Amino acid sequence: MNQADVSKLMSRLRIKYKPVRRRLKNPEGAEGRLKKIRKTLTALLKHERIELNYNRADETRGYAERLISDAIRYGDCHRATMELADYWILEKQLIHKLFKVLVPRFDNCPVSYTRMYRAPRPCPGMYYKRAVLELRGNPYPPLLPDMTANRNLIHNVLLDEAQKEFRAQKYAEIAKKLEAADDNVIKSIDDGDEESSSAESSGEDETNVLGEAQVQQPGEKVVHPSQNMQ
Amino acid sequence: MALWCRGVQRILVDVRPIFSLFQTIGNTEYSSLSSVSRPEGLGSDEAKEAKTVEGHKPIVPLECRFVYPEFLPDPRLDHRNSLREKLERMDMLNRRAHIDIPEFYVGSILAVTSSNSHAPEKSSRFVGICIQRGGCGLRASFILRNVIDHQGVEMFYEMYSPVVQKIEVLRLEKRLDNELLYLRDALPEYSTFQLDMEPEFLPEGAPVPVNPIKVKLKPRPWLERWERQELKGVQDLGLPERFYKRAAEVARPWEKYDLMKEYRASIPAEEQEEIFVEVYSQLQQLEVMRKKMKRRRTFVRPKKMG
Repeated sequence: MNQADVSKLMSRLRIKYKPVRRRLKNPEGAEGRLKKIRKTLTALLKHERIELNYNRADETRGYAERLISDAIRYGDCHRATMELADYWILEKQLIHKLFKVLVPRFDNCPVSYTRMYRAPRPCPGMYYKRAVLELRGNPYPPLLPDMTANRNLIHNVLLDEAQKEFRAQKYAEIAKKLEAADDNVIKSIDDGDEESSSAESSGEDETNVLGEAQVQQPGEKVVHPSQNMQ
Repeated sequence: MALWCRGVQRILVDVRPIFSLFQTIGNTEYSSLSSVSRPEGLGSDEAKEAKTVEGHKPIVPLECRFVYPEFLPDPRLDHRNSLREKLERMDMLNRRAHIDIPEFYVGSILAVTSSNSHAPEKSSRFVGICIQRGGCGLRASFILRNVIDHQGVEMFYEMYSPVVQKIEVLRLEKRLDNELLYLRDALPEYSTFQLDMEPEFLPEGAPVPVNPIKVKLKPRPWLERWERQELKGVQDLGLPERFYKRAAEVARPWEKYDLMKEYRASIPAEEQEEIFVEVYSQLQQLEVMRKKMKRRRTFVRPKKMG
């Protein structure tokens, strides 16, 4: 049972991470591991989307998340955070990007700052798993197809049904009103009073137009909250 | 309870001449952050943090984590179990309702009374300096050290053990380091404390003082290679140059940048807050009760003279 180190406060990460680090084998040992991760992290901040081996991507992801969350938590006037950024980012112009672009971008982000996908690997080739690592909110087109317009999506199915029900209700109302109007017309003809019947018919038209406008209101497409970050 | 008792025999030898001072190189900001013993650095850090996280005001003071570190769970993911942690916290609060476990730090001088079936009064009292705190949950523990009859003695106590009857803080202070294990290799006067020491009281609301004392170690052989650890509370070690060279070779200065290692060894701030929100009100009540009891105890009924 170890006691938690309470000397530094850090934000909770929104990603899953392994309980034990990967060694990322290299001749330089633990320092070489950090150097490898540093290169990948710099590339990630620079290009915002990179494809690489899965293990290295997964290791780097935690470090990227930590660096961004520290930058958000402590800001650019905190010397320790600045030193961290100086160590982790090899191309120094990217330090400005971290504090001036990424911090405002992720300031109120409720989800993780990076995304990782499994990438296909060439069939007769190396066994290593591949991955795509990207920052959220990057300018590239999304990697996954936009499934929000899929009619089979449960939200869309429910919305369609709701729309149908709403329309049926409106048609029923209109039919009732028409019937009532017809009854009035028949009555008025019976009474021989033409003026009142013309006024009734103009009222009918108005209700009809209103009904049409309301029927078209329900949204055609579901919009996910996460789509804003894409 | 004395799970183990360690006696270390010490021989006083003339202290060697002083050589070059062992410099600790490193991230200055981090050193101030990592040491529990610098409240002013921590204060500024927290102020900054409060500024950055606007709108979200922590309900419990963040100093809780220094006062009650054992309420935070083990950071190792494979040791986590939220139900067990919660039950342990409840048990800890129940135990605290029965005995008073005061605030103390590494470097504070404590007196612990524990049941001892071999003692004539069935209990024994030990006074010593706290050289290490460890463990979390119900297994939280500390080590007291003293030199008794020219013999170094260390007692390992579990804070929530039913054998512990009373814990008194005789002098509340911090030292420059998070662990004082080097006192085992230091001259005995640095870990000698009177068994009949009077408790010293700090004024209400005063910060816990940091004792900047630098300890003189005995000449080698030692139990550990102290020159390889970045110790702040040690006078220069007076070793030949080759020891410092080797220490520089095996130093791992990159570890302070290892963000995930840091993260895996700690509990994130949000989780800390959740835990302390759960226990803080009860801890506060216990604290108030303790103050009341202390006042009652200090009141002495005037005696009739003549």
